[in-house]
Amino acid sequence: MKPSRRLWADRLRFDMAAALAVCALLALVPLVVRGPYALGIVVVSIYFAIVALAWNLLAGYAGQFSLAPAAFAMIGGYTTALLGHYAHVPLALGIPAAVVATALLGWVLGKLVLNLSGPYLSLTTLAFAEIARVVIGNSHEFTRGDQGMHVATLTQSRVGYYYIFLGVLVAVLLLLYALLRGRLGRFMMAVRDDPVGASSRGIDVVRVKSIAFWVSCAICGLAGSLYGTFSQLVSPELGLLQQTGLVLSMVVIGGMSSLTGALAGALLVYMGSEWMRAFGEVQTIVFALLVILFARYLPGGLWGLVAARQRKGAP
Amino acid sequence: MSLLSVSKLRVQFGGLVAVDDVSFDLREGEILGLIGPNGSGKTTLLNLLSGYIAPLSGRVRMGDADITGWAPAPLALRGVLRMFQMTRVFTRMSAYDNLLTAGMARGLKEAESARRADALVEELTLGPVQFLDAGQLSGGQRKLLEFGMCFIEPPRIAMLDEPFAAVHPVMREVMAKFIRSRHAQGATFLLVSHDMPIIVDLCQRAVCMNAGRVIAVGDIHAVLKNHDVIEAYLGETAAGDEPPSLEVSG
Repeated sequence: MKPSRRLWADRLRFDMAAALAVCALLALVPLVVRGPYALGIVVVSIYFAIVALAWNLLAGYAGQFSLAPAAFAMIGGYTTALLGHYAHVPLALGIPAAVVATALLGWVLGKLVLNLSGPYLSLTTLAFAEIARVVIGNSHEFTRGDQGMHVATLTQSRVGYYYIFLGVLVAVLLLLYALLRGRLGRFMMAVRDDPVGASSRGIDVVRVKSIAFWVSCAICGLAGSLYGTFSQLVSPELGLLQQTGLVLSMVVIGGMSSLTGALAGALLVYMGSEWMRAFGEVQTIVFALLVILFARYLPGGLWGLVAARQRKGAP
Repeated sequence: MSLLSVSKLRVQFGGLVAVDDVSFDLREGEILGLIGPNGSGKTTLLNLLSGYIAPLSGRVRMGDADITGWAPAPLALRGVLRMFQMTRVFTRMSAYDNLLTAGMARGLKEAESARRADALVEELTLGPVQFLDAGQLSGGQRKLLEFGMCFIEPPRIAMLDEPFAAVHPVMREVMAKFIRSRHAQGATFLLVSHDMPIIVDLCQRAVCMNAGRVIAVGDIHAVLKNHDVIEAYLGETAAGDEPPSLEVSG
């Protein structure tokens, strides 16, 4: 018998159970929170949770620090918006199209950047993100520029939207669980821990990174597309670097390389930032400080504390 | 029967020819020692043979296949495995998960990988630390773990770079025993080491390099008695002062 809770499969199962428990709690929220504005805040925090999970797959599990998650969400949103505006494509096709488009774009960008490592990968994705945002913002005739574009909505019901977002969140969690549980998840962590060692054991490092990259981009694209239909507007602001910064701080505070960490981090940070609005523009300062403190003193994030306790309790 | 045949391999870093027209054969089932003073090009040669650098010219053949310039991963899948002087393990996974992952990377199913990992943990005396993250293991334990990762699916050729350096004598014995047992089962090794007693103990033949060139190749005792080899290690000595063999001088 293996002492449980120490092997990767056990760690992941525990993490997934905790993440699903958080989702179960989220499912009860509309019973308590009835105001459309307050419910809207939780919906947006779920949007961020999906993007944070996607970024965490790439950065936390595969070790690739992309700075483009918000840009891919923006591109996903615009894919649906442009298809709807110019070709009258219904959302039932427009949303999957956003997933396919961002996956393809992620795959192409991945081809270009995945032979780079460390800061070079980050800088290249940052440059891509800024170029994409500026191009969309300046193509007034085609995208209406900074005014943004109108997007059709899936439903007028706030509660309906809430459960759509929650359903997608659970689906993304299940997908990530399946991915991480198998060969590919192990290979991603091997690549993260030691790319040279991973290749010497027979792992195709570039292929593993590439899959992590396009899957992560596709999830961001899905989140951005859904967000567009929810707010009925997409604008270049979706792709602002601040949004990526927010996603990064969510994952670092919640816990890198953890499903629950990214999820809980996103909920706490977004709701915290909404709450802090009352005190002026202090969110950026507060979260930047928190990221520095967590990175320095608690690199495992909040989930790191839980996981350490749980491992101590193992036989 | 030659398993790996290296001919006229050459690599250059700027003006330095690090590996210079190196040719030798690795025979099926032997433990071939690769020796030479510091900076003689042993690790560079290993980097060439394991796919981390491409040669400027020359050929590497394994059986009938030309594997010159192949990347590390395809080589590993062909059974050419390499261990590093500075161990490479996956630090944020448990030692046991390292073994599982290495097995799965070689194409084993998870269950089969787990079955073999259990046996290797036992054989390599890693039981007490198997559930620690590999980053928490001592240097020697990491080396043992790397042995396990290489051998979870028996390699056709195992290339070991200084496996015994800075390792506790007890673990050194575990490693030597492991190498002997796999050799008895027919595994082929290329062993880089500075530790002459262990080289003499384990290897039947040796290649000695100096300044990027092969200066002697053949029976281990003959190589260690070779005048050029002794001079490469000890420098020029006055006539009559030279020891008869590196085995004696230790």
